[in-house]
Parts: sequence; C-alpha cells; structure tokens
Amino acid sequence: MKEFHLQIVTPDGLAYEGMVESLLVRSNDGDIEFLANHIDYITTLGIGKARIRENGKDRYASVSGGFVTISEGTATLIAITFEFAENIDLERAKMAKQKAKDILSSSTDSKTIEIAKLKLQRAISRIKVCEYK
Amino acid sequence: MAGMNDIKARIKSVESTMQITKAMELVATSKLRRAKETVERTRPFYQILGKAIDSISSLSKEENNTWFENSDSSKTLFVVFAGDRGLAGGYNANIFKLVEKLSVNKDAIWLPIGKKALEYSKHRNYNIYSELFAEAADQSVGPILSLGKIITDGFKNGEFGEVILVFTEFVSMMTQRAVYETLLPLEKPATSQVDKFETDFNPTEMLDQIVPEYVGGILYSALCESLASESGARRMAMNSANKNAEEIIDTLMLHYNRVRQAAITQEITEIVSGAEAL
Repeated sequence: MKEFHLQIVTPDGLAYEGMVESLLVRSNDGDIEFLANHIDYITTLGIGKARIRENGKDRYASVSGGFVTISEGTATLIAITFEFAENIDLERAKMAKQKAKDILSSSTDSKTIEIAKLKLQRAISRIKVCEYK
Repeated sequence: MAGMNDIKARIKSVESTMQITKAMELVATSKLRRAKETVERTRPFYQILGKAIDSISSLSKEENNTWFENSDSSKTLFVVFAGDRGLAGGYNANIFKLVEKLSVNKDAIWLPIGKKALEYSKHRNYNIYSELFAEAADQSVGPILSLGKIITDGFKNGEFGEVILVFTEFVSMMTQRAVYETLLPLEKPATSQVDKFETDFNPTEMLDQIVPEYVGGILYSALCESLASESGARRMAMNSANKNAEEIIDTLMLHYNRVRQAAITQEITEIVSGAEAL
C-alpha cells in the first residue's frame, strides 16, 4: 500500500515519526481514517484510540486532545498525550479510573468534576487500548 | 599578632563559603543536564504547534473572532516565569527588569510562576491574578495545561485584553536570554490559506478547542526553557563565585604570610636590640 509521512508530537517530545499506510483517529464526531494522498485537512481530536498501520502491521495508541493536520501529503498529529499500547501501564490506568470515579461521586465543585470527567475518559481510553497489546 | 588570627579566621570563612558554592555548582550542573534534555524534547512540539496554529487561524473567515482581537479590557496579563530560589546570577532580576519595561503605560496584572516572582510582585503590591502556580519547579504538564485553560477563559471573559509571556530562553549552556512573547490575541497570519484546507468542522469551534491547548503547550515549553535557564544561570554564578573565592584566599594567604614574616622580623629586631642594650 502507498505510504505517507506521519509525525506525532506531544509536549514530552516526538512520539513517532515515519512512513505509514494509514492513520485512524477519533475526532470529536467519530473515527476518521487517513490514507496516502488525502486532501489537505484539519480536525480536532477527542479522547480515544488511534491506530497507525506501518508495513501492514497495526499499532494502537491512546490519544487525548490536540489535532491532526494533513498538508501536502504529510500528516502531523499534535496531541496532549499519545501513548502506544505497549507503553501503557494498565494498573495505573485502572487506579486512575477508580480515583476519578471516587472524585465524581464525592465532589460538588463544578471545576473539579469537569477535570475528573476528563481524567476518567482518558483512563477508560487507556484501558481499552490495552486490549490491543 | 592579632592581625594574623583575624586573617586566618577570614580564610576559614571564605573556604567554608566556597564549599557551599561548589556543592551548589555540582547540583546545578546535574539539574541542568536533565533540564536540557527536557527542553530538547519539547522543542519540536513547540515549533510544529506554532506552524499548525497558523494554518488553523487562517481557516477562520470571520474577521472578528474572539481570539484575534483585543477585547474591551485595557488590562494586560503578564505570565512571569522566574525561579523558586535566588543565587542564580541575574536570572530573576533580568526577568523582572523586562516585565517592568514592558508594563510601562500598561494596566498590568501579574501571574507569577516561581516563588521569586510571587515575592517580587507581592512586595511591590502589583495586581496578582492567581497565586496557585507559585512553585515553578514542581509544575508538570497537567497543571500547566489547566493554567492554559484558566488564561484562555479569562481572556474570553474579557478580564484582560492581552496576554504576554515573559520567560528566559535557553540559548546555550552559557547564554540565557530574557524574552517575551504575546500569547493572546493571536496574530492573524499574513497569508490567507482559507481554501487550502478541507474540514468537516466549524473553524471557530475548532479554534475554541485548540487555543486553550495551544496556550497550555506554549506555557509548558516556556516553563521548560525557564527551568533549564535557571540551572544554567546558577551554575555560571556559582562557578564565578568559586573562582572569586579562590582569588580571595590567594590574596589573604599572601597577606597572612607577609604579616607573619613581619612579626618574626620584629621579634628578631627586638631580641637583637635587647642584647645590644645589655
């Protein structure tokens, strides 16, 4: 399959750079998959799983926030967090999920609840992505 | 003879100070190495983010988008990155000098990051926006991103019309430079690429989602640059303190030997003249 260049950056550095056959991400409205020769495109990302296909093999990752731009045939994914399934600490994600749930059930402050909701979403996404290890 | 003891005491005190500055230099060196790695890791993010935000802002066809124009508020928010501790040469002072210069004729609100910045702004009774981020050293990505959200919310609600970031750029191990950057309002890109990108979403809504993340990202890289610069500045300051201490000890030693010799000579002269008198 035809390949295109993909670059993934997070505040912690360059998470991935290389040629891929496909990039699948979760946008705010649902999953979008990009193949080579895609038209120039921009979309923001929600919290969820991402998939890259390189050399016919799929790699999964958990992504939160950020956006994807496709410009002149190269894709750039800018995310707040981007973790490949093999790097995710399942135990930690489960703990984070529990903690976020506790906060949601006990807190009344709207700001804390908002933050906890995002944390919960992130933890759930991580746990889900772990299934693809 | 009293002169000799005085000099000896001074040499001792300089030596013990030198021990401290030497230890501080070592600590700063190892911290610097780690901070430098972080800076190098975050730089690609920062550069790519800058480029991407340009393409997105060019999407927005509306001229009067909230993010591109000063709101009615005449206030300016200064996000000031300084250190938690002193003894880092001109690191803190340079930042404050720059902020003072920038805030002339402006209605400034401070958002201090770093204990020194908080102390400085409190001491001078400046308007402080939030004291929650006073400790620079233990900020991680999470809290900084929420700070990005707080700032963008404040901007949107018209609490201030301009956000200026003041931090120290880490140029090299030897050079650090106090710089500033206008975060908000966003600069409208000169070249319009309105029709270049295709998207299924409303550009304004996308900007609303991306701008807080963008601001958070920029804040995080500014923090990393500042922390590396602080260690760099401290290492340099402690290095020159060590050199200075060595110099002082050398001169004191010379002085001490001279006084000692003078005392011996005087004693001999006294004995000789005493013997002659007999």
